[in-house]
Amino acid sequence: MLRRVGAIALAAAVAAGGGFGQAAADDDTVVVGAAIALSGFVAPYDDPHKGAILAIEDVNAQGGVLGKQIEFVTADTKSDPAQGANAAIEVLEQGAELVLVTCDFDFGSPAAITAQSRGKIAFSLCAGDPKFGVQGIGDLAFSMGIGTPAEGAIMAEWAHAQGWRKPFIFKDTQVEYTKKLADYFQARWEDGLGTVAGHDTFNGQTDTSAAGQITRIKESDADFIAFTGAAGVGGAPIIKQIRAAGIDIPIIGGVAVDGVYWLDAVPNLSEFYNVNYSSLHGDDPIDAVQDFWARYAERFGPPIVGFSVTGYAIIEAWTRAVERAGTFDAKAVALELEKFVKEPLLSGDTTYTPEWHINFDTPLMVTQVQNGVRSGIGRFAASKVPPVDF
Amino acid sequence: MTTAIQVIVDALSVGSLYALTALGIGLIFGIMRLINFAHGEFVMIGAYMLMAIVAQYEPLAIIVAMVLVVVLALFSERIAFRPVRNASPTTMLVTSFAVSYFLQYLFVMIYGARPKGFEFLAGLAEPFVIGTIRIPKLNVAIVAVTIVLLAGLALFLTRSRFGVQMRAAALNFRMARLLGVRADRVIAVAFALSGILAGVTAIFITVQGGTLSPGMGVQLALIGFVATIIGGMGSLIGAVLGGYFIGVVTVLLQFGLPLEMRPYREAFVFAAVILVLLARPQGLFRGAEARERV
Repeated sequence: MLRRVGAIALAAAVAAGGGFGQAAADDDTVVVGAAIALSGFVAPYDDPHKGAILAIEDVNAQGGVLGKQIEFVTADTKSDPAQGANAAIEVLEQGAELVLVTCDFDFGSPAAITAQSRGKIAFSLCAGDPKFGVQGIGDLAFSMGIGTPAEGAIMAEWAHAQGWRKPFIFKDTQVEYTKKLADYFQARWEDGLGTVAGHDTFNGQTDTSAAGQITRIKESDADFIAFTGAAGVGGAPIIKQIRAAGIDIPIIGGVAVDGVYWLDAVPNLSEFYNVNYSSLHGDDPIDAVQDFWARYAERFGPPIVGFSVTGYAIIEAWTRAVERAGTFDAKAVALELEKFVKEPLLSGDTTYTPEWHINFDTPLMVTQVQNGVRSGIGRFAASKVPPVDF
Repeated sequence: MTTAIQVIVDALSVGSLYALTALGIGLIFGIMRLINFAHGEFVMIGAYMLMAIVAQYEPLAIIVAMVLVVVLALFSERIAFRPVRNASPTTMLVTSFAVSYFLQYLFVMIYGARPKGFEFLAGLAEPFVIGTIRIPKLNVAIVAVTIVLLAGLALFLTRSRFGVQMRAAALNFRMARLLGVRADRVIAVAFALSGILAGVTAIFITVQGGTLSPGMGVQLALIGFVATIIGGMGSLIGAVLGGYFIGVVTVLLQFGLPLEMRPYREAFVFAAVILVLLARPQGLFRGAEARERV
């Protein structure tokens, strides 16, 4: 019996060790791994990895990076932070020099910490929490997302520019990002833009009904709602309930309510706005972004969320840093990334510093939904970003 | 005053959804001591079936979805639960988790993990307007349908032959069998009834949120489970009141807690659950089987 168990264990080890064979990637390839949610409820937010695939094809067509062709491997975290470390190990054992991780601090950091501990660069597709970097993970962790302070500030300043004056802040408490976005919106708003008409909270992962909160919105004299939920994780049903209760004031949200996949839940939705990295609706003023979406549609079908450009931008950033460093060594590459000042990338001009491995000054695209149809309005930058508060 | 009425309606409608779920779970537990965590997936599948059929005709979608959920409930009983009926409660619990995960991931395979939005019974989304009060018709419908269902179920359990047999089986399964109650049939009827309750819950959740995802039933099943515990496991009226208890406490806390404490609302809800269990360890209503007999 024991012998049989041993044989099975050996067979399993051989099967699992398939990675070691590939780890000795031959001299003319370099491996980029993605330890992200390919299944489960976070998967829609990791769509940017398809942007990375398109970028890798471009880099390879132009001769690769440092003369090596990029090979792309993936491992599924199944939307479970506990699986993040395993997924990272899986791609690292296949020789990954760069590990892409989930578009959120809470879900992406376990994989990033694993990559950091093995001395490799971890790049979050679009995490917005400023902890994603030196402070929360380590010197090799970066995010292509815009920092939540800047995202909240853009929402506040753009809303103010529309003449809206009395926000009701509706905070989703499910992850750090959704909580902090509400706090930074409030910080920016109360810094000279006006006072807040009301507050309430919900949890997108657990609340099936927002009846109580909606009653509170009705009781307030708010003229717009700052909504920090995620459409795919409990946000869409709440937006539906707000509109069903007859509340038709404008709603402005962050990057997490982008996309067209959930709009069928609230037919004829109007006066809905959110910020994002690009407009996928054929009206983005930047030609390179338009080209990106056309190629995306051809390759993967209709686009889902406008932030998939960040995956493309990560490969642009990493290959440039590698070329400048002249090596794949993670420390050297990280030092080059830290020298980025308004580096033009597909998701916007990007600046990193030794202190901040996340952007604060990239403008964001504001998109709107009117009568159930989405369109881009234009890019908007914040004049003032609240200080980071951990 | 207006606010008070709004809050009462909110609390009743949230409580009704929880009560329907708790009853679906409580029915099965009462008879076979099975905590059916797959009940949440019955709801989820009901919602997906509505979406699959709705393009044709809404009333038809309701009927077909209900029938399919009942068939699914019966099928899962036959395939998964009947073989472990005489096993320990732990085995049955693990089986129900297995069925729950299997169904969730089956639907991830079929429809993908990305939530799907779709509108159903749009008319219910409009509010009744009475003075300054605006009450969504859906909330009224949820409360009304729940009351009708509960009344119908009460009549069924007290007046019909199957109902009496089910109550007998819940009281003492072995004795009921010795007296000629057919176990397979009674359990099948219980699963069919829980399928109907899941189907109705699916309709309301779909109209309310308009968003479907394979994991949508998990939280509901958890709340339903807690509701059956505080109601007193095995007691049907207890399950219903347990559901209303959690719904009402949740809405009142959401409304009454200061802003800084609202993110920790669930902690207070479950603290209330613990308090109830400390005061009445057997739950609000003790199931008949819990009584020691000499």
